[in-house]
Order: sequence, then structure tokens, then C-alpha cells
Amino acid sequence: MVTLDKLKSGFKGELEVLTEEPKLSIIRIKNKKLIKKVAWQIKEEFDILYALSVVDYTPVFELNYIFSNYRNADSLVLKVNIDEKDFSIDSITDTFNSANWEEREAYDLFGIKFNGHPDLRRILLPEDWPGHPLRKDFKVDDEIRNWTGLDLKF
Amino acid sequence: MVKENSIRLNIGPVHPAMHGVLKLILDVEGDTITKAQTEIGFLHRASEKIAEMRYFSNYYPIMDKLDYVSALNMEILYASVVEKAAGIEIPPRAVYIRTIMAEIQRIMSHLVFIGSFGEDLGNMTGFIWALRERELLMNVVEKISGGRLAPMYICNGGMFYDFPQGIENEILEALSIIEDKVKHEYNAMFTKNQIFLSRTKGIGVLTKDMVKKYGITGPIARASGIRRDLRKVSPYLAYDKVDFNIPVENDGDTYSRFVVRVMEILESIKIIRQCIKDLPAGSSKTAVPWIIRIPKKDTFVKQESSRGEMGIFLVTDGADKPYRLKLRSPTFFAIRALEELLVNIRVADAFVIVASIDPVMGEVDR
Amino acid sequence: MEESNGFSYPGLYEIVFMKAEKFINTVLNWGRSNSLWPLTFGTSCCAIEMMTFGATKVDSDRLGVLFTGDSPRQSDLILVSGTITKKMARRLLNVYEQMPDPKYVIAVGACNVSGGLYHDSYNTIEGIDRIMPVDAFIPGCPPRPEEFLDAVRVLQKLIKENKSKAQKNGNIRQA
Repeated sequence: MVTLDKLKSGFKGELEVLTEEPKLSIIRIKNKKLIKKVAWQIKEEFDILYALSVVDYTPVFELNYIFSNYRNADSLVLKVNIDEKDFSIDSITDTFNSANWEEREAYDLFGIKFNGHPDLRRILLPEDWPGHPLRKDFKVDDEIRNWTGLDLKF
Repeated sequence: MVKENSIRLNIGPVHPAMHGVLKLILDVEGDTITKAQTEIGFLHRASEKIAEMRYFSNYYPIMDKLDYVSALNMEILYASVVEKAAGIEIPPRAVYIRTIMAEIQRIMSHLVFIGSFGEDLGNMTGFIWALRERELLMNVVEKISGGRLAPMYICNGGMFYDFPQGIENEILEALSIIEDKVKHEYNAMFTKNQIFLSRTKGIGVLTKDMVKKYGITGPIARASGIRRDLRKVSPYLAYDKVDFNIPVENDGDTYSRFVVRVMEILESIKIIRQCIKDLPAGSSKTAVPWIIRIPKKDTFVKQESSRGEMGIFLVTDGADKPYRLKLRSPTFFAIRALEELLVNIRVADAFVIVASIDPVMGEVDR
Repeated sequence: MEESNGFSYPGLYEIVFMKAEKFINTVLNWGRSNSLWPLTFGTSCCAIEMMTFGATKVDSDRLGVLFTGDSPRQSDLILVSGTITKKMARRLLNVYEQMPDPKYVIAVGACNVSGGLYHDSYNTIEGIDRIMPVDAFIPGCPPRPEEFLDAVRVLQKLIKENKSKAQKNGNIRQA
């Protein structure tokens, strides 16, 4: 892949290639501040942000940005780790417009702040829903199961 | 925020013309929409959290209820992810049976689309007809799997039961009826109907750039001139062994989105006929234990469901349950385009455009 | 009514009135049970089977269940089909409260009976009888369209026998 070689030479030491296959390559960047620059480079070959999956390895959260394009079926997975103490990362919505709702979803279900996001609100759950349910420390107990939600803001 | 002479309309989540529980917030001036917002999340059932509490084999019912109009596509997708992660090979007969079932489900899903699209245009006859044809395939699916809407047919390593004897002829019989109806009756009802044409042509035009901006895939993208179908681009199952075309339209309006889906029904019929002809003999299942453990790895699989490209990103850590399962749903991206699509059109056309996106909220909200 | 020795006897007028009331109620209930116009509150999977219930093969119309305008103001019966999430609960009640009395509720699908598949989800309500009175439950995930017919038959029987939840709670205008 052209972009992958460019990325490797452009971000020496900061970027690590985990697997390199024609269909699915996985790379990891060590510094989360580089995400905007890397995304800008990736934009040359990949059209859309296909999905954004957050994995909770408390105290570290791993963000998997999956990119894809319309020409072939290639995908690229970009892994970034963020720390629980500094729970924010730069938004890539100005590079990839399709990241908008995926980032809102990550904010909703994990509570990650995306700096520079145009409209960072909860998307699936109501504004006054307590907690961020997909984190591993959120346990589905009887209290939350018996709650009917009638006291939520309409 | 709202201008003096404009009204803010809240439509949904409970509205007969809404597909599922989608909410539209429209600012209307006269009869023209000036601003549109969407609100989703009314059917957020926590499928991703439940995945972390279930064994790999016990998650299939939840996959059924994600995109409940094309349940088998979802089951096959999940089976492919687990089998790829665990390194399970399935026998060739299972591959072909899965292809047949996926295409039967695609036809059924598109028939529901035709029906509900007709209903939204006030064409109740179209709705009744489409569901009547769907019932033919429903009977076949019921004979094969025992279930109707949520068949629970696919399992790790293949499927629960092989085809019952003589079902191939029944499938072919149902298909020939549907092909005849789609080619002749539906043309008279929809594509040659002047009222239908004037309500759909040139309405809600989605350009190529907008498709790329929002990341839309599937029939909606193909109606805007993007020739991309995962069945052709990266063939899975038996799609590289059969001959079929990808219907593409260039206008990007609601009419094209309708025509693409109707053409896809005919292509699916072609695929099923070829698969039944070449259906290999032999076993239809690899024996896999109910509880399996998958070592630590990331797996990503995407497939073409009826509404676009559905993907699963599976993270495993050596346990008997997934560590994290992320569902990438196609309509989640397509719904967002409504905020741009609905501007500067009439309120009555808004419902036609929403129907042409064909959202299934179970899959949008997950 | 004449009173003597602490006993009371119904007069002729009362007897006629009681007979007439019973007769009128019977007629009213007969009418109510045979023209149940539903509000199709479809949120998810069961809604697709509810569509089949209204289409040709099963044909709800023959029991008087007419899929009309889907307006809560003109409905007698609410078919709650599909999972109700915590975000949706207030909206369901809001629609239910807009319906005129007498109103009947059928809970469709395992999710609305007891939580079903989503019993350990953080965002669903485990059975809508936690938030509203329910007359008939349809089990199944999703139920077959024929089971909708069965539930309507059960509800009709309840209405004719004056046993529906609305009639028990007194939310009903008697003759």
C-alpha cells in the first residue's frame, strides 16, 4: 500500500506496523497528538472512516479507527491508546466527515472527549442518562435493570 | 433559533409514516423544510454490551434482532467473524447453503422495502402485493429453519440442519412466481405508474460527493453511481463462483434507489438458481463444540447486507466470550445524510426520502 | 323505593332499569369487542410480523381489527410490539394517555412480556406491565402472525365478560 510506506517513512519511531496484508493492515501510533496528521495522510488513499471501535483495557483505552475506500475492499486499522487520566483526543471530523456520529457514539458510550468536534452530544442515550455503559466498570445490576426511565428528561 | 414565520415540527418516534422509531425535527416555512435534524437511539438495546456476557454460540439470537428484516445476513456475518477468528473451516455445501439463504433473505428484505415504500406513497395495493410475495419465501424459510422472521438457522461451523428433501424445487417454484410478478405486475404498479414517477423522480438527489462525505454504502450508494458491492469487490461465501451483475443507477434520486433494489431482486434470483444447480453433496456442518475459546486477536469482517456494508470488529482475549464486539451498521451512516437531503424540499416528500433510505432502527441504534 | 322494617325492595322501575342496563352493557361490549381499531405502536422486530398480521395471509380485518389512521385519538387498542427502551417509556405512556377510554393493551413479544432476550440489557424495560396495565400478552420472539389473532380473540372474550383491565379499574363509561 502506498500510504503505508509513506506513513512509515513520515512518522519514524512513532508508528508501528502490526500486520501488513493486502486486505487489512493494522498500524499503531504511540502518540495520540499525531492522530490529526496521520488521518490527513491516510485521507490520500482512504475515503471514509468505516468504524470507530473503542476497547476498554482500563486504565488504558484503545481506539481502533477503521478506514476504507470506495475503489477496493482494503481496510486500514489505526490503533491509538489514550490514558484514563487524560481522557480526550483530537477529533478527525474535519478530515473525515463520516467520523462525526461515530465519535459522538464513542463519547456517549465511553465518555471520551473529542477536541474540536462540531457537535459533541450524546447520540444513543438521553442527555441525563447516568454513566457510560460500555465501560468495563459499568455493571448491569438489578438497580439499572429495574429502573423504568420514566424520570428521564423527555 | 426558530425564525418568526417558521414552525418547528417534531415527527416521530411514534409516527405511522416513520420507519421504526426515527425522530425528525424539521423547521418548516410554509411547506418547505429549511432545516432538518435527526434523533436516534430510541431502540438502543445494548447489543454490544450483551455480546460481552454471552458465549460465542449464544449470540446468534441477538444478531437476528439487529437488522430484523434481513436476519440471516446478520447471522452469516457473525458466523464468518467467529469462524475467521477461531480458524474454523466450513464444508463447501455449507458455503452454498449460506449463499442461498443470504440471497433469499435479501429478496425478502427488498420486498418489505417495496411494500413499505408503496405504503408511504399511498399505494396500499403495492404493500399488500409485496407482502404476499414475501410470504412465499417465508414459507420456504420456515420449512428449512423452523423460524420465520428470526430463523436461528446458522451456527458456528455451518448450520443447524441440512436442507430438507425436495426443498430446492419449492425454492425454484417460489422464485419463478416472484420473478414473474416483479417483472410484470410491479412495473405496472410502480415504474410505469405516472403518479409514482412524479412523486419519486428528481426528489432527494444524493450526489456521489455526498455519498463519499457521509460514508454511505450499499444500494443507496449504487443508486448514486458508485459501483461497489462487496460480493464482487472482495467475494466471500460462494459469490466468486456465480455469475451476476451489480445494478447501478446514476441519478441518485428516490426513483433510482427504488429501481436498484428491484433489479437486485432479479440478480439475487439468478444467484440462487446457479447455487441450487451447483449445490455440492456432502456434510453441511463442521462439528464445533458449543463453548469455544478464541486466543487474543482482533478480527474485522465486512459483508454486504441488504442495506449496505455491515461489519464486525471482534476483540478476543482467550476467554469463551468476546472482549469487545463492535457493530458497524450501514444505515447509521445513511441516516445522517438526511440532515442535508431534507433541506429545501416539501414536507410530503420528506417521507418518501426517508422511506427510500430504508432504515431499520434495530441496526442503527444497536 | 319504599322502605319498611329496614328491608328494601327494588320497585318495578328499578327492575326494568337493571335489566336494560345489563342489556345495554352487553350490546356495548359486543360492539367494543368487534371493532377494535388498533394503534400500531411498532418499534422493532415484532412490528414486521404485525405488518403481516394486517396483510393478506392472516388478515386482521375479519376480526374487526382495522388498521386505519394510526392515531391515538381514534384507537381502542394499543399493540405494543417491539422492545421498549428507557428512552421510549415516557413516549409510550404519552401516547397511551392520549387514547380515549375504554382502551385495551396487548403486549407483543418476549421483550414486552418479561424482557426476553434483552433481560440483561441496561437500556430496556423488562415487561411493559411495569408501567401500564396490560390485558393480553403474546409470547414469542417474534410471535407468529396467527398468535396475534389468538390474542385478539382472548381480548374480545375478556371485553364481553367485562373482565378487561379498563373495565376492572372503572375507567369506562357505563350505560
